[in-house]
Amino acid sequence: MYDIKLQGITKKFDAFTAVNDINFTIPKSSVTVLLGPSGCGKTTLMRMIAGLESPTEGRIFFDEHDVTDVPTRRRNIGMVFQYPVIYRGTSVRKNLELPLLSEKLSKAEMDKRVDEVAEILDLQDVLKRQVEELDNGTRQKIAVGREVARQPRIILFDEPITNIDLTSKLELKRSMKELFGRLKQTIVYVTHDQTEAMTLADQIALMQDGVITQCDSPKEIYEKPNSQFAGWFLGNPGMNFVPPQFINVSGSKITSPLFSQTIDFGTKASSADTFGVRAEGINVSTTETKGGVQARVTRKSIGAGGQYLLDLAVGSLLIKARVSHSIGRTAKDAVWTSIESENITFFDKSGKAL
Amino acid sequence: MAKSVETLEKSIKDAPKAKKPESKKNWFSWGLLAPVLFFFILMSVLPTIWMFGLAFYDYTLTSANKPKLIGFKNFTDFLANQQLAGSVSRTFIFLLCAVIIQTLLGILIGVLFWKNDKMPGRRLALTLFFTPMVVTPIATSLFWKFILDPTLGVINYFVSVLGFERFDTLTDQTLAFPTLVFVDTWMWTPFMTLMTLAALGSVPKAELEAAQVDRLPITRLIRTVIWPHAKFILGLGILLRTIDAFKTMDLAYVMTGGGPGDRTELIAVSLYRFAFKSFKLGYSSAVSVFLMFIAIALTSIYLYILNAKKKSEA
Repeated sequence: MYDIKLQGITKKFDAFTAVNDINFTIPKSSVTVLLGPSGCGKTTLMRMIAGLESPTEGRIFFDEHDVTDVPTRRRNIGMVFQYPVIYRGTSVRKNLELPLLSEKLSKAEMDKRVDEVAEILDLQDVLKRQVEELDNGTRQKIAVGREVARQPRIILFDEPITNIDLTSKLELKRSMKELFGRLKQTIVYVTHDQTEAMTLADQIALMQDGVITQCDSPKEIYEKPNSQFAGWFLGNPGMNFVPPQFINVSGSKITSPLFSQTIDFGTKASSADTFGVRAEGINVSTTETKGGVQARVTRKSIGAGGQYLLDLAVGSLLIKARVSHSIGRTAKDAVWTSIESENITFFDKSGKAL
Repeated sequence: MAKSVETLEKSIKDAPKAKKPESKKNWFSWGLLAPVLFFFILMSVLPTIWMFGLAFYDYTLTSANKPKLIGFKNFTDFLANQQLAGSVSRTFIFLLCAVIIQTLLGILIGVLFWKNDKMPGRRLALTLFFTPMVVTPIATSLFWKFILDPTLGVINYFVSVLGFERFDTLTDQTLAFPTLVFVDTWMWTPFMTLMTLAALGSVPKAELEAAQVDRLPITRLIRTVIWPHAKFILGLGILLRTIDAFKTMDLAYVMTGGGPGDRTELIAVSLYRFAFKSFKLGYSSAVSVFLMFIAIALTSIYLYILNAKKKSEA
């Protein structure tokens, strides 16, 4: 299998820079999700890897092979598109076989591969049907199966479940999760949906304004965002940010009216500007606690799973806290909050994590 | 169960009443349509009905006799007329040659334009290429007549400069008909190119890209990706061109006048002669009715194919 090296990749559409000088390696035999808001350049980046778009500057390597000028046909990649592509006028089986024809496989090998993917994707029952008769969800499954059966070294997924109805969406996500566990290919998956990214990724490459801002495992990127953007974009709700006026820095010590303890942050303390804390990183108690900071509940809503989301006002500052069902249910107007220091991330003036 | 069917029927009966406010809207839309309908009926429907009637009369504009009802005599007359049969078969040969050549050339040029969508000057080239289509056929016929003229024509000038003998294609027994096909092709190939570009444009981009990723061979690409999407628009283009070629009149009339002999006498030219040279209105109406049925037949065949395809897809 190949890894994908991007060397100074820039793509401009007239005056607009979609992808801006990306230097990055997508590791082989794992699932990398390109995640970001719309217009961040993730799809453009993927299309350049596929060769459907050529970079304005920079080189692309599959292992040590420079493929920048190699046409799509000769890159030996698979790609699943946002719009479910089927080859009309043929059966489902034929659809799965079509890309295999240029591989010069024996009939037995071809049948084996087709039956294998049909089993994983639950397509056995429709193998003999005409593709035009099937709904979008099944069509997309066929498209996924077609790319997998060919066994290319790299498979690209461009928001494959965006255009599918809700029930097929969940089903497709589940079968892809299973599929990704079995595949040894290098997989790149583009999405703007963080749950999809969290479920499927080995690592998430977070993109903003044509740049990859952070690449880590889903757990790492959630717990240790390297920028305010990462903290805000991941999580629902995103991270709470506490502005500078709530922070006192003296030497290496940081104090704040929001937490009772004094944090020793060493030499980096002087550049601390804001701090972030996730909604579930805030401890809430309905009775007064020692060192607890009093807050007022402005809104209460129950989420899936029974947890409560509380909108709290600490003086003039508004923050969101996620609490257990029992606390959420009993929380009245006044509550007491505390924040453990390990749940706090400090950011400098430019929004970078310290 | 029976009750629910009853209530259903009742609700269906009541439905138009419930929609009463809609009728005001209907008046408004009919009002907007009225001017067009008025002229359509006046200029198109009534003359057609008139023509149907005339076809059963012996009616010559220049004779002093009153129109006389003669039944199907006009029809039997022209079906027995060898010359007219010649014009009809000549028209079909013309139509086949012209449409086939124009379709093939149009597709070829269309694909070239489509493949080179980043070529500099593409827009200008397309605009220039489409001009023959927007020039009036009479003008086209006239200037081609001049270009091909044996004494004044630019082609013959170069022929004589190169030391060959001047020739007159439009009065030549064997060359006249192919020349007509050539000029028609010059004029209408851009139309088929336009239809090809529209047809290719109707193929979803993702499907074309997927075919590249999946390394489909070109024949497969055409069969399973391009053709299923492109066939309707391309088919429509061929149909329009067929009907139009069937009616070709100005080209032949201006350039050759049907000659030499009857070598380029297309059915529309004959028709023009009967109606406006001999003023045999009853006879020419009968020919028109016959031609109209051929045109309707061609359209029906196409619509039938189209509907059959749609049914199989549903």
